[in-house]
Amino acid sequence: MENIDYEDNGFFHSGHVACAGCSEPVAVRVILNAIGEDAIGVVSPSCSAMICGGFPMSTVKVPMFHTTLESAAASASGVKRALIARKKPETTVFCFVGDGGTYDIGLQALSSAAERNEDILYICFDNEGYMNTGGQKSSSTPLGAATGSTPSGKTTRKKNVIEMLAAHRIPYVATASPSHLNDLRAKIDKAKRIRGTKVIIVLIPCLPGWGVADDGAVRTARKAVDAGVFPLFEIEDGVSYRINAGRKDASERIEGYLEEQQRYRHLDARQVAELQAEIDFQWDRLRQRAAAPERGGLTGARAGEPPSCAGPSAGSVPAGAAAVPGAARGCGPRPG
Amino acid sequence: MNSPSLPTVSPSLWTTRSSLARKTGTWRAAAPEYRLSPAPCLAACPVNARIAEWIGELRKQNLRRAWEVLVENNPFPAIAGRICHHPCESACNRQFHDEALSICALERFAGDTALAEGWRFEKPAAERSERFAIVGGGPAGLSAAYQLRRRGFQVTLFESKPQLGGLLRYGIPDYRLDKAVLDGEIARIVDLGIDVRLGRAIEDAEALKALRDSHGAVYLATGASLAKRVPGLDYAAPWIIDSADYLAAANSGSPARCGERLVVIGGGSAAMDVARTARRLGKQVTVLALEPENRLPAQRVEVDEAMEEGITFVCGAMMRSVEAGATGLRLRCERVDFKPGEKRGEFTVTPIGDPAFALDADVIVPSIGQNADLGRWRALIGAEGAVLGTDRSWRTSAPGIFAGGDVASMDRFVTQAVGMGKQAAAEMARFVLGEAAGGGFAAGATLPFADINTNYHPRAGRNAPASTALEERLRGFAEVQRPLAREAALDEARRCFSCGTCTYCDNCFYYCPDMAIARTDSGYAVKYDYCKGCGLCVEECPTGSIVMRNETML
Repeated sequence: MENIDYEDNGFFHSGHVACAGCSEPVAVRVILNAIGEDAIGVVSPSCSAMICGGFPMSTVKVPMFHTTLESAAASASGVKRALIARKKPETTVFCFVGDGGTYDIGLQALSSAAERNEDILYICFDNEGYMNTGGQKSSSTPLGAATGSTPSGKTTRKKNVIEMLAAHRIPYVATASPSHLNDLRAKIDKAKRIRGTKVIIVLIPCLPGWGVADDGAVRTARKAVDAGVFPLFEIEDGVSYRINAGRKDASERIEGYLEEQQRYRHLDARQVAELQAEIDFQWDRLRQRAAAPERGGLTGARAGEPPSCAGPSAGSVPAGAAAVPGAARGCGPRPG
Repeated sequence: MNSPSLPTVSPSLWTTRSSLARKTGTWRAAAPEYRLSPAPCLAACPVNARIAEWIGELRKQNLRRAWEVLVENNPFPAIAGRICHHPCESACNRQFHDEALSICALERFAGDTALAEGWRFEKPAAERSERFAIVGGGPAGLSAAYQLRRRGFQVTLFESKPQLGGLLRYGIPDYRLDKAVLDGEIARIVDLGIDVRLGRAIEDAEALKALRDSHGAVYLATGASLAKRVPGLDYAAPWIIDSADYLAAANSGSPARCGERLVVIGGGSAAMDVARTARRLGKQVTVLALEPENRLPAQRVEVDEAMEEGITFVCGAMMRSVEAGATGLRLRCERVDFKPGEKRGEFTVTPIGDPAFALDADVIVPSIGQNADLGRWRALIGAEGAVLGTDRSWRTSAPGIFAGGDVASMDRFVTQAVGMGKQAAAEMARFVLGEAAGGGFAAGATLPFADINTNYHPRAGRNAPASTALEERLRGFAEVQRPLAREAALDEARRCFSCGTCTYCDNCFYYCPDMAIARTDSGYAVKYDYCKGCGLCVEECPTGSIVMRNETML
C-alpha cells in the first residue's frame, strides 16, 4: 500500500472544535504543514473559522486574519499587497473559505481577484451547503440533496465553479479530497510554487449535514472520488486538464456513495438515475477536456498566462512593485 | 492609553493562546485502543505461527528476522513450506478480496534462504539441569526436543531407525521433500546440543518406565507404524505390499520389485505418495478410493498432480474380492456411496447397486492409513482406542509421560505433529518446574475480513509457485513444486493484509482529525486528552489493529 507521505511539523494542533470525525482538520493539517511557516491566512466565517480560531485561542501556528463572508479573496489581495509593500513578497497568502463563501457570497470577490490574477492560494472546503449554520443549501449543494432549506431535495444542479474559475484562465485550479492526502499535499506543493491565483476545492463530507456516520468522512469522500461524483483533477492556465483520480471503471455507479448519506435517502430509483446521468455527463465532459490537446491553438510560451503579469518564480522576484501581480496592467498598488 | 476590555477568560487560556488548553477528550463516548488480534491464519496454523509478523519482516526485506520469528514456533520452515497442508491459506482473509496469500510458498522462501545462508539457532542463553527423554525422532519428537533444548533443558532423543526424521524421511518421497532440505533442518536442531541415540527402540513398558525414572519427563512420539488392514485381503499373498514398506524402500533408493500394474487402495496423502512414486518408477498405476474424487483426503494439489502424471483414479468404489490368475490379479469392485462420520477416520459406505466392474493388476498396495502400536506400553499406560489418550496438556495417564504426534492423535499432518511437539514441550517444562499445566492453546476470536480496509490493498492475484514440467517429473524424483523467486516472494509478502498486526503505516497518525495519536518508540499511543472518539483511525486502519471500546465514566 501507498503510505501517506508528508512531514507534520506541528503547524496545526489539537484542541480545535470541529465535530468529532470531521475530515476538514485532516485536510487543514496537510495544507498548513505543506504551506509552512512563512504564511498568512485569511479565513471567512465558516467551519474553517471555527476550526482555526475561537478568539483568544488559535489552533494554527501562522497568523490568521478573520474577515467577512463575502470578502476573503479581496482581503487576501490586500494582505498580499501589503506584504509586497513591506518587501515580503515571498510570504504565502492563503484563504480558508467554505462553499458558501466561494460559490455564493464571496464569488464576486473571488472572480475579481482571479481576474487580477492576485498571488493568493485560495482553498475552498466544499461541504456542499451552509453546514455551520445548521445545514441550508448553497449553490454548491448537488441535485437531489436534502438540506434544511431543500427538505425534499434540491431541484437544481451544483454550480460548476471550477469551470467558472478555469474561464478566468488563472494558472491553477484543482480539486482534492481528504481520502487522497498525498494528492492534496502534492497540489499544495505545486500551487505554492506558482505565482498568481491558485484555487483548490477540497471536498469535505459534512457528518451532521449530510447524515454521515462519525467514522465515515474519509470513506464517503473516497467513494465520491471513485464513483466519479467528485473526481480529482487539475486545470493549468484554464485550459490544460489532468485527471488524478476518478471513476474507477465505466460500470462504477453512485449508489455506494449515496448509501453513506442520509441527505439522499428520499431519492427514488428515477431520481437516482437522473443524478447518475448528471454525474455521467460531468465525468464524460471532464474526460473529454482532459483528452483534448494541451492549450490547443493558443500561442505563447505559456498560453494560459495573463500577459506579462506573473513573472518568474517567486524565489527570484525582487521585492517591490515589479512583483505585484497585475502591476503591468495598472491594477497594482503604486510603489510608495 | 487604556487597554481595550477583554472577554472574561481564565488567564491560562488567555496567556496560552493555543487551543491545546481545550481538552476535547471530554466529548468522547467511545475510545480507540491498539490491539494485537490473532489473524485467521494464526488460529488455523497447527503451530500457531505468528504469520503476519514474519511476513511483515519479509516485506521489509528483513529475511533473517522473518526466519527467526518463524522458527520460534516451527523449526522446519523449509519442510513445512513444501509439504504443509496449509490450513492458513484456507483461512486467509485475502480470499474474500481476491485470492488467498501463498503463505506456504513464502514459508519455503524463508526456510530455503536460511538453509542457503547457513543460519543456525542461537544456543540457549543458560543451561538447565532438568533432563528429558524423547522417544521418536519424527516431526513431533524433533519439535519437542528443539523447544525443550531452546529453553536450556538437557534432551536425549531415542530413534529406533538408523536416521532421524521419521515419516519425513521414510514416508515422504523426494519429489515432495528433498532429503538435503530434511537433513539441513534436522542437523540445525541436533546442533543445539541434543543427545541423539539412533537405532535405540524403547521396546516395552519396562524400558519406558526406566526412562521415566531417569528423566524429569518422557515424550512419546513414536508415530503410527502399523498399517491399517483392508478387510478380507490376504496380507500373506506375495502380490500385497504394504504402503509404508513400499515408500520406505523407494525412499532409501532400493524400490521393491513388483509387477508393472499397481492398484493403490486409498485416497489419502500416503496413497498419492505410493501412486506417484510408482509412476516415477515406470509403473501403470490405478488409485481405488472409497471417497468421491472431490472428497479425497489427500491435498487437492496432490490429486491434481497425480492426474497430470497419468495416474488413473477410480473413486467412489471399493474392492469386493480379488482373484489371482496366470496373467495377474483381477479385482472385483463395485460403486459405493461414501458418507463421512462424525470423527476423522469414521465413515459408512453403501453399495449403490451399479453393475460390478473389474480392475486388472499385478500388485496391490493398500494405503488406507496407519495405526499406532500401543500394545507395548499397555502395562504402563492404559490405552483404549486407536491412539494414546492424553489430556489437553498432552499428559498420558502415566505421570511424567507425555505423548503427541500420530501415536496420540488422529490429526495426521506433519505440521500438526510439529505443533503438538511444541505444546508438549511447554507442558513438560511446566511439569518439571512444578508449575500448573497450561491446558491447550486458544487463539481467541480472529480478525474478521470486515475489519480490513481493502481500499489500502489494491487487488492483485497471488504469486503461486510453478511446477516442474511433466516430462521431467516422470523421469525421476525432482521436486515438483518450484520455489518462489525473490521478487515474487517479496511481492507476495506485500499482499498480506497483516490482519490484526500493526504495520506502522501511520494512517491512524495522519487520519486523526484531532492529532490525538502520538508516535512512540513501540508504535502509537492515543492522547486521550484530545481524542473525540470518532473512530476514523479504526476505519482507516488497513490491518484492523485498532478497536473502539465504550468509554467508562471516570
